Amino acid sequence: MEASLPISAAASAKRARSAVGTGPGANAPSVTVPLAFILTGLIALFIGVSWLAARPTILATYHYNQFVIAATHLFVLGWICSIVMGAMYQLVPVALETRLFSERLAKIQFVFHVVGFIGMVWMFKSWNMKQVGHFGCLMFVGVGLFVYNIARTLLRVPKWNVTATAVTAAISWLSLTVTAGLFMAAGKCSYDSAESITNAAGVTAIISCLRSAGAFMSHFDALSAMHAHAHLGSIGCFTMLIVGVSYKLIPMFTLSEVRSKDRAVSSVVLLNFGLAGAFVTILLRSPWKFLFALMLIAALGIYGIELIAILRARKRRALDWGIKYFLTAVVLMIPLSALAGVLSWPGLPLTPFTGQLENLYGFLGLIGVISFAIIGMLYKIVPFLVWFGTYSRHVGRAQVPALADLYSEKLQTFGYFAFLSGLAITGVAIVLANALLVRVGCVFLAASLSTLALNVARMLKHFCHPELKPFASRPASVSIHPQ
Amino acid sequence: MNNSITEELVFETLRQVIDPELGCNIVDLGLVYSARINGASVVVVMTLTTPGCPMHESIAQGVQTALLGLEGVADVDVQIVWDPPWHPSMMSEQGRIATRVGNI
Repeated sequence: MEASLPISAAASAKRARSAVGTGPGANAPSVTVPLAFILTGLIALFIGVSWLAARPTILATYHYNQFVIAATHLFVLGWICSIVMGAMYQLVPVALETRLFSERLAKIQFVFHVVGFIGMVWMFKSWNMKQVGHFGCLMFVGVGLFVYNIARTLLRVPKWNVTATAVTAAISWLSLTVTAGLFMAAGKCSYDSAESITNAAGVTAIISCLRSAGAFMSHFDALSAMHAHAHLGSIGCFTMLIVGVSYKLIPMFTLSEVRSKDRAVSSVVLLNFGLAGAFVTILLRSPWKFLFALMLIAALGIYGIELIAILRARKRRALDWGIKYFLTAVVLMIPLSALAGVLSWPGLPLTPFTGQLENLYGFLGLIGVISFAIIGMLYKIVPFLVWFGTYSRHVGRAQVPALADLYSEKLQTFGYFAFLSGLAITGVAIVLANALLVRVGCVFLAASLSTLALNVARMLKHFCHPELKPFASRPASVSIHPQ
Repeated sequence: MNNSITEELVFETLRQVIDPELGCNIVDLGLVYSARINGASVVVVMTLTTPGCPMHESIAQGVQTALLGLEGVADVDVQIVWDPPWHPSMMSEQGRIATRVGNI
């Protein structure tokens, strides 16, 4: 297939032919949608960490209260989901060599997502479950649009692979997570006030569904349901994506390749079976949850072995800091897995100490593993988006910067160590239930995020002030056509 | 036929096109397999470091832009191929230094 390109006014008389239009780069959506999600996510993260620093008791007390649940949803929906959705709109078409089904749907989803998560967090904080349900419905519609868009995109994938399987699993688990969340909200509401407006058939049907959902949830205790719901999202969607997408991105960035497809596939399959079992056993408070925790740990172990094999075979020896962030997050899966093993031990008593261990487990999972991995990947995604939006059309016409030139490596390095310090301090503080130390740890995390914010600002600056230079010397017989 | 366009000139010109992820030009990366010149037409056969490379469009377009800037070139055909697949051993010494890729 050939495509003509409008190069310039002067050059338009010349013919330019290539397979450009069929390439993966041509499949990427405009940078606006992913950037809107990413910036939203970064703002939510900054607010979240600042909130923890201002109210450290959130992490220093047991996690079944309105503030912890509100903060968790701010991190999960505002930060992680925003980034994951924005990145998927960009990465899924590129990584799977296809085209996004609809950019328009993505824009509409953004509105539902932002209004939905802000409202949910606000209402969780006020513990108004009825309004949580209403805003949750907006979030549900947004997630539905997202899942539909990505699913239709996946149907176009020319060559199915383990990454496509993981992405399919992730959006399926995400749908279940949001549905489970709505069921839980329905279970916490009463519908007495709706009695007077049940004349309309549609309203009656909705109220009946909500009552049924609430009645169904009454079979399970609220804490178990919350834990099962949390695992569904954090492992089913986020960890699944980290594992699946890294099988494509880590070889791409390190000039390597997947060493064992069987190993890659088995890690994703085990993760799915382990999660299905873990969800049911956590929900039912079954002692069998330990078995499924082991299955999940085995899946991550196989993933780790494959990742090491990929890295050993890499041709690009020096690892940049973005990859180091990501790999550190993967290493943090080891203490996280150990904690999972301990906390799923049958008959473990719920004491204030084990309660704090549960807090540590959640913190380490969401902030230590998932957030650290995401920040690492952001140092790959954001420079690409900015470069693509600013410099792509200038390649071959002028000297354009490399991706690594768009941000400060010093800031990135400082951010890495500040984040690690913040994790360590906050982790210890959570175990000790020491609010003051939680605050200190969160200040370190906030310092790390400030470096990220500064670097993102540096990158975005290129949209307004591109750094283009003329070629130092051009080969003989070269004339630049006016643009 | 314009005799001033040579394969060497085409390769030299393509050093102006970089892979921004690796921070190195596509010639020293070993991505350009051949350049055939037929009068004012140039056919570049090249590859990318990986299928699904997000820079696919930018790099291919950059090749066209750079070569169309050469006096005497009226037609550029960029053919992206995956066989033979790219391997770091195809890089020049300068390419290995720039990308910090070890000896192959």
